[in-house]
Amino acid sequence: MADAPTHMIENRTREFMRRKLTSTGLLHVVLTLFSLSLALPFVWMALTGLKTIEEAGMDTWLPEKFMWGNFARVFETKGIQFGRWYWNSLYIAAAVTFLQVLTSSMAAFSFSRLKWPGRDKVFLLYLGTMMLPWLVMMVPNYQLMIKLGIVDTYWGLIIPASFSAFGTFLLRQFMLGIPTSLDEAAEIDGATKWQLCWDVILPLARPGMITLAIFTFIGNYQSFFWPLVMMKSVHRYTLPIGLMFFDSTQGQVTNLLMAAITMSVVPMIVIFVVLQRHLVRGIQLGAVKG
Amino acid sequence: MNKTQRRDLALGLGFLAPNIIGFLVFTLGPLLFSLYLAFTNWDLRLHNMFKDEPLRFVLLENFSRMLNDPDFWQYLINTLFLMISIPFSIAGSLFAAILLSKDTDGGNNWVRKRLIAGAALVFGVSCLVLAGAGSSAIVLLIVGLAGAIMVGGTLGGTTVYRTLFFLPHFTSGVATYILWKKLYNPNTGPITTFLRPSLELTADLVNGLPAGVVQFGSWLTMALMLVLVVWGLRRFVLSWRDGEMGWISVLLGLVFLSLPPIFSCYWAQPSLTGWLVAGGGVLALLATAGIVSRGRDYTCQADEGLGNGIMLGAVLMIGQFALLGLGIVLHMLPSLATDGLETPEWLTQYDWAKPSLMFMGMWAAIGSNNMLLYLAGLSNVPGELYEAAEIDGTSSFQKFWNVTWPQLAPVTFFIVVMSTIGGLQGGFEMARVMTAGGPAGSTTTLSYYVYNEGFTTGRLGYAAGVAWAMFVLVFSVTVFNWKFGSRQIND
Repeated sequence: MADAPTHMIENRTREFMRRKLTSTGLLHVVLTLFSLSLALPFVWMALTGLKTIEEAGMDTWLPEKFMWGNFARVFETKGIQFGRWYWNSLYIAAAVTFLQVLTSSMAAFSFSRLKWPGRDKVFLLYLGTMMLPWLVMMVPNYQLMIKLGIVDTYWGLIIPASFSAFGTFLLRQFMLGIPTSLDEAAEIDGATKWQLCWDVILPLARPGMITLAIFTFIGNYQSFFWPLVMMKSVHRYTLPIGLMFFDSTQGQVTNLLMAAITMSVVPMIVIFVVLQRHLVRGIQLGAVKG
Repeated sequence: MNKTQRRDLALGLGFLAPNIIGFLVFTLGPLLFSLYLAFTNWDLRLHNMFKDEPLRFVLLENFSRMLNDPDFWQYLINTLFLMISIPFSIAGSLFAAILLSKDTDGGNNWVRKRLIAGAALVFGVSCLVLAGAGSSAIVLLIVGLAGAIMVGGTLGGTTVYRTLFFLPHFTSGVATYILWKKLYNPNTGPITTFLRPSLELTADLVNGLPAGVVQFGSWLTMALMLVLVVWGLRRFVLSWRDGEMGWISVLLGLVFLSLPPIFSCYWAQPSLTGWLVAGGGVLALLATAGIVSRGRDYTCQADEGLGNGIMLGAVLMIGQFALLGLGIVLHMLPSLATDGLETPEWLTQYDWAKPSLMFMGMWAAIGSNNMLLYLAGLSNVPGELYEAAEIDGTSSFQKFWNVTWPQLAPVTFFIVVMSTIGGLQGGFEMARVMTAGGPAGSTTTLSYYVYNEGFTTGRLGYAAGVAWAMFVLVFSVTVFNWKFGSRQIND
């Protein structure tokens, strides 16, 4: 460096950096335009949710006056039990998430850490059902729910969703990545399999479990088909069914409908922004199967 | 079985128990029962508490009824039609992933500081100027938003953009479908109000042009589409001769290549142009078949170059569909424009319902898991390949076509397979929430058909039959994946 004249080096670096600045700046412009165009529907949604009902029928985007009270009014609208639906959705999704992570992690432990005759055949059976269209099972499952007498109850949504072949698969993939030397060490220390599962493997598999938990929570929060066929009473609807009910009964009240939709989308946006690192990894892990 | 084995089995099943019980009761049991159902005449209108006819085993009656039902065929075609958007969304995902994989902070502090300052400056000045010039609030809002995103992006790097790209997919569900239903509202929806002025301009323009010019444009796009077909055919023939692609690869590529002509035949039936294009496509296909059957200079395995074949076919398919759409629009423009152009009633007009749903689907699918998979794939492309290409002085398009695209072939293969499987089963939520399967069944997909038969009409046996037919479609894609997927990944 010291040999060459400093000003020449400086000039060249300057020029290189300028070029870099232009190209990176352009990249930012393109990225901004791209994300802006994808985000526009959400912008319209939030703004319409803040309009008065008269304005909601007009083609302006911005409300004259921001009606922050709309959000509260959604909860008070007659015939729309929004608070109840919100609670149902969160409650059911949370219960399913807890149960599914629990059953899946135990099953994944069995598939990845224990050796027992017939294990791989059973696992193959699990994998095989993952490739089937979910619709195939829906007709018989509904008849089963009628037989069990849990149509139009929370249990009817929670129980069938608590067992997942996909969750088992995902966590097994994850646990296979934990070194087996730990098992041996635990065995030498005289740990039982239960202790091995609970104290060694599960804490290490926590990132995988978080990923599965996010998938499950979002999947059940968004779930449409099963609640649609199962829930008959309006106060037991979950958010998606409730929003559809809102749209079909009072859809002309666009501003409140959009406020309701905004509120139903917000938890997902928050979850995604906060936990996206886990999600991104989970999606890439889930695809390893090929 | 000795004692330890028995103990192992008990232990393994013990840990598995909570899961496998549910699995047997809610997955495997219903699955087998559904298979049985598909061969019975279980129908809630015959078998209910008032009327209890015995359940009959009807062998293949459900399936023969399905195959003779014109509705089934219409719904199958609808399902396939909606899947046309898949290659477009995949291309969008790839484009997004490439943008995101680029270095956004300029590599050093000097550049980075100036980027942030520049973004903030542009943002601030444009806001001030616009506010001062008294532009409408919405312009101000959009520019403000753009500026905010850009400042965020220069500060937070790719994560900010990735989050924004991913949100439509992540939140997609009933809520966003209702949102889009409102966006598509033919009177007050923003899409309509946004398009209206530009449509008026177009109408004026078209009416001002001498007769025949627009029609000529339509013919020109169609001719271009045929050129694309012929060029693709030539590529396939050459690859076949040189032993770069086996017969499976060529065949599949040709299937993709021939889809647009077939659809133009189906879609634009009454128009001469459509028939000409379709006829030309079929002729060209026959010609290739003739050439291919003449043998070749080098031989190779049947599935050699499978990824390339599919991708070439898919890329050409995208181009063809784009040209085809343009051609159809241009063909219809002159007669429509005479009384001024109106925006269509997106979701309630037979010809527009499907494209509207597809457009919405693309919005949700661009920033999806596919984009993340492509991002991971891009980060795995060895840097030396690019360096070597740079030394050879290639353009950035050549770099993409000769380095990035082939390197991503396994990822693309996986994405195509998964999207196809998803597409075959898809469309239920959109149809239920946005269009109720209409107008005139034009958005009813197979999954919505199963729902209607199984949960509305109550023909459980028949519904199970249709669901298993869908399974056969999905399964054939899966088998294809098993047979060739691992090879693609090892290549």
